[in-house]
Amino acid sequence: MAAAIALGCVAALATTLVAKSGASSTALPDWSGQWENVGATPDATGGFNQTLEQVLKQMEWSPPLNAATKAKVDAMQAKERKRLEAVARGEDPGGAFTACTFGYPGLMLDTPLMFEVLVTPKETALIFSSREIRHIYTDGRPHTPKDDLWATPWGDSIGHWEGQTLVMDTIAVKDPYGPEDSGSNVSAFGDVEGFLTIGILTQQAHFIERMRMIDPGHLEDQMTIIDPANLTAPWHMKRTYERVAHIHRMVYEDCEGEDRNPVVNGKFTLTPPPPDTPVGSSAPNSAAPAPSAPPK
Amino acid sequence: MSRARNHALIAIVGVAAALTATPALAHHSFAMFDQSRKVTVQGTVKDFRWSNPHVFIQLLVKNDAGGEDEWSIEMTSPEHLARVGWRPGTLKAGDKITLVLHPLRDGTIKGGQYLSGIGPDGQALLGSPASPGEGK
Repeated sequence: MAAAIALGCVAALATTLVAKSGASSTALPDWSGQWENVGATPDATGGFNQTLEQVLKQMEWSPPLNAATKAKVDAMQAKERKRLEAVARGEDPGGAFTACTFGYPGLMLDTPLMFEVLVTPKETALIFSSREIRHIYTDGRPHTPKDDLWATPWGDSIGHWEGQTLVMDTIAVKDPYGPEDSGSNVSAFGDVEGFLTIGILTQQAHFIERMRMIDPGHLEDQMTIIDPANLTAPWHMKRTYERVAHIHRMVYEDCEGEDRNPVVNGKFTLTPPPPDTPVGSSAPNSAAPAPSAPPK
Repeated sequence: MSRARNHALIAIVGVAAALTATPALAHHSFAMFDQSRKVTVQGTVKDFRWSNPHVFIQLLVKNDAGGEDEWSIEMTSPEHLARVGWRPGTLKAGDKITLVLHPLRDGTIKGGQYLSGIGPDGQALLGSPASPGEGK
């Protein structure tokens, strides 16, 4: 009898804990696999499959920038066009860097990289091929207390489940390459053309996302950005992700690798990497299924 | 329409976006290639170098003097190529292939940016535009 009561108490406690986490583990959606921004399917040349216009339409792009922020954007774009003209001439405009940190919200909006979504009862992790991870805590905790909070390129995220929709709340985001007091930037696709659609945010920007699976092949993220210092109204946009073809496991980017394009006398040059020893040729598991083998 | 972009340019514009004076440390750019020109080269694969940040094909191409030049053909990243269907073993030393590329602006260096190709089996390489030479 005592044992039965004890078991009952344990079961009740477990139920309470699961309820606090927002959903039972069996109710959580399966978003496994690799995902990419619709429009960011690459080809072998470095190009992608949609135009900027298509991406802007998909995102419902309409940044409500205030006048001061719009003026900053205009100045940045004018400066950037001059830099791009130099690049087009094969010249080094200076200011390049080695890192491959995209940061939030670019990871969700303008990255050409793929990602995985690891859903657990207490946390959902979004894992990107740039090796950046967004930790979305869904265990009921609040944001990091003010005295412990500091801005990072990925921000401070908490979330909860509303049925099969993950509601994410993110604050304290800074540009990965900006000065310490800079906020984040938002662009339509993070590329040369997309940069020309940039929106500038402060570190006080507040991001609310609603992510859900709209069909077995697509995830959707509806994002609202609240930043009264730079925006005249909350900024709503939408991004859709599709399953990545051809692969069934993560392949990592590494922009911090060797400098393959050293600048000599102000001009870019080309230095191929040294040859590698084929790792599969003598490895004991070389007969294992190829990386492309689909999961069973 | 294929869009001309790559991580190098992302990196370059990213700095501008931040309005900082980050020193030039390294470059992963396609600016050294003449985007207005396309050339076709036939040769034998010496190495297929599957590495970050960009993949390279080292191709031995016969020259007018009767010898061979080693061309360095820069591709996009392993992550992007894998999503197209390429693998580290897609090309092997000894493969006879034909490539279309944007050549280096500096003609004294043999190399270019990959656009499309015909593999050793006579078929278009994965991720190539519909017909070779129709890349960006």
